[in-house]
Amino acid sequence: MAQRISRLFRTIFLVEILRGLGLTLRHLFARPVTLQYPHQKPEVSRRYRGVMSLLRYQDGTEKCVGCGLCEAVCPSNVIKVVSAEQEDTPMKRYAREYWFDLSRCVFCGFCVEACPVDALAMTPNYEYSTVNKRELMLSKETLLGLGDRYFPKQPPKPAFVGSCESDLYLLTVQRKGYPLKGTEHQTPPSEPAISVKPGPSASEQSAP
Amino acid sequence: MDLLVSVTITTVLIGIVMGAVMVHVAWLTYLERKVLGHMQDRLGPMEVGFHGLLQPIADGLKLFFKEDIIPSGANKIIFTAAPILSLVPALIAFAVIPFTDWGPIADINIAVLYILALSSIGAYGILLGGWASNSKYSLLGGLRSAAQVISYELSLGMSLVGVLLLAGSLSLSKIAEAQAGGFWHWYAIALPAPQIVAFVIYLISAIAETNRLPFDLPEAESELVAGFFTEYSGMRFAFFFMAEYANMVLVSCVGTVLFLGAWHPPFDFLPSGGVWGVGWFLLKVYGLLFIFFWLRATLPRLRYDQLMRLGWKTLVPLALANIVATSVIAYLAR
Repeated sequence: MAQRISRLFRTIFLVEILRGLGLTLRHLFARPVTLQYPHQKPEVSRRYRGVMSLLRYQDGTEKCVGCGLCEAVCPSNVIKVVSAEQEDTPMKRYAREYWFDLSRCVFCGFCVEACPVDALAMTPNYEYSTVNKRELMLSKETLLGLGDRYFPKQPPKPAFVGSCESDLYLLTVQRKGYPLKGTEHQTPPSEPAISVKPGPSASEQSAP
Repeated sequence: MDLLVSVTITTVLIGIVMGAVMVHVAWLTYLERKVLGHMQDRLGPMEVGFHGLLQPIADGLKLFFKEDIIPSGANKIIFTAAPILSLVPALIAFAVIPFTDWGPIADINIAVLYILALSSIGAYGILLGGWASNSKYSLLGGLRSAAQVISYELSLGMSLVGVLLLAGSLSLSKIAEAQAGGFWHWYAIALPAPQIVAFVIYLISAIAETNRLPFDLPEAESELVAGFFTEYSGMRFAFFFMAEYANMVLVSCVGTVLFLGAWHPPFDFLPSGGVWGVGWFLLKVYGLLFIFFWLRATLPRLRYDQLMRLGWKTLVPLALANIVATSVIAYLAR
């Protein structure tokens, strides 16, 4: 009975509606959550995944070795790597072309995680809209420029294989008989068994 | 010569009142967007001018330069006439509103009837616009509008009867003068027969009458695209829009005059009359208009059957009971 009376009271004096009105009135004086976007920019997380970029070492050489793992792992087929051997250093590869189709990118960051030499990074750049769709096809130079802009501080080039005497790289190059030209290291002279053979002799060997 | 002078004076007065009403209507759209925005923790318009103050001008320019489309299946004459038929009654009703103790433009002794009649004519604009568009959404919106106006005009008219009984007049300026001397003389709370119930009924009916939320079934955008003005664009759309806001101002003015003491200040010692009267009047009108926005931000739209039940089974009997109670009390207290 008391419950019915209280319900009648609530109906007559519009209690629920008045409570709703009180709520909206409180929010009238609450602080708006709006960010005036073009004038105020949001502060993005340090791990924000924006446009992808290519990185360099401190001395300006590209980190990318053209392995194509990013291309393989990409779920939306964004990346196209054309890998090539460095002309002056045999068996060392790099990306002759690197295409990044930003119009299809889903910003998952798998490419960055897949990279074995940490040559990729996601920049915090999210303002890349354009009126021309073709501009979203980023070339290697654009990606390197992005990397230079957003990650200016890069580690020095590590002592790669081939930079000291008698390491595996050098031994392999010599065993396979690749021409070693223009490298800054010398062939160890004291080991005739693995001396550098010229190209024609190598083909002679393989020929039956 | 006398006639010429009086015609000139009246024309100038009409120009002043009309201009003031149109300016208020324009910035009312801005105010509504601001209030709604802040109630939803947003900012509302911010780009055009300081805090978006010039937004109504930008909106007006945009609508003015828009292409004027008349659907090929529409009845051209009625389609063109409907927005005018909707806006004009809303504007000419302001002729009898006494904004201050100088009196209205036309001080007629049946002002309340005049306003009720004009608000009914305004519904024709919506109804004809909905029919002439030759579109199913417009037609449904127009039909709903007709049903809604018929249901709520009844309770709107009857909620005013209590005040008319107490004042003994249909003239708005006489009713306003009868409420002089402090807020306890305003008819909404005046003894011996406070019309507070009638005031609430009047507010609810007025919101329904102007097709505002939560009674905006004629233009329910989630079901009927835009209701009766689905096919309208450009200035014709703007006419309907202005008519809606002018009607809001009108019902707020009528509510102020009948229930809230018109231009009288809440206490006797406060400055009154003349320009001060206009100020007090506007303050009350904007208070009522704020309630319009407030309810819009709070309540969801009613279903059609809920709307009809509220109108016929709650408001009409309540208004009738209020008339009976008021007449008995007024007779005994005489």
